[in-house]
Amino acid sequence: MSRRYRISPQGPPPLTDAEIAKHKDARRLIFNYHHATKLLYKRPLYKDPKAFFALLIIVLLAIFIAEVVEKERAPDLPQAPQQPQR
Amino acid sequence: MTAEQEEAAIRAAQADPERFGPLYDHYFTTIFRFIHRRTARRELTADLTQQTFLKALLGLARYQPRGLPFRAWLYRIALNELRMYWRKRKETVMDLGWAEAKILADEVGIAQQEEEMRMLSSGLGRLAPDQARLIEIRYFDGLSFAELGAVLGITEDAAKMRTHRALGQLRQYLARTP
Repeated sequence: MSRRYRISPQGPPPLTDAEIAKHKDARRLIFNYHHATKLLYKRPLYKDPKAFFALLIIVLLAIFIAEVVEKERAPDLPQAPQQPQR
Repeated sequence: MTAEQEEAAIRAAQADPERFGPLYDHYFTTIFRFIHRRTARRELTADLTQQTFLKALLGLARYQPRGLPFRAWLYRIALNELRMYWRKRKETVMDLGWAEAKILADEVGIAQQEEEMRMLSSGLGRLAPDQARLIEIRYFDGLSFAELGAVLGITEDAAKMRTHRALGQLRQYLARTP
């Protein structure tokens, strides 16, 4: 990024305090603050019984599916050659 | 606002963010001018100023009055917002009047004439970004060395030394400029 400076006798058009004050909005600031700090969910999911059981079922199903897939795949895997015992 | 009033206002806002109003009212114009000098666009400046105060309010609980002066802390947040804005830009232009450049012109020993001012703007443009930032904050925004150090996260002595070096570099450029 390059920087340039323009220094002229009058400078840029003056900005009065009244013009700046038009942009002042404390209510919007407080609204944005609350919007930024409020929790996405007021109650954590794990503390809600319905959501907790739904999550539990999803996790158990995922484990069950993983087990079934693992068992189905297992016979197809080539057996590692056994080392002759000395 | 006296130092005691400011400290009380900070403590009140730390306890209840809804009471940030007095600090917001007191510093809004200062921060707005600081940002506007570097963007020259009112709507953009209004957004960046609002963002600066939002970040200040979000971080207010961590702010300690005994360390960094509150004004310098706000300038530091504003500068970070500007840096994020500058990342998307290829070029930045800073518009100044002779009156704003007078202290710097006196410091580097040049007269307030068209040719000298053209040389000064060219010399400023050739400085390294960090050096230019020091000069801008010290001479165009009028911050003390202690505040300058606080804004840039360096000590007051380091701020003095780096500004001195930056001025030396600027004088060299001015001497070389035909």
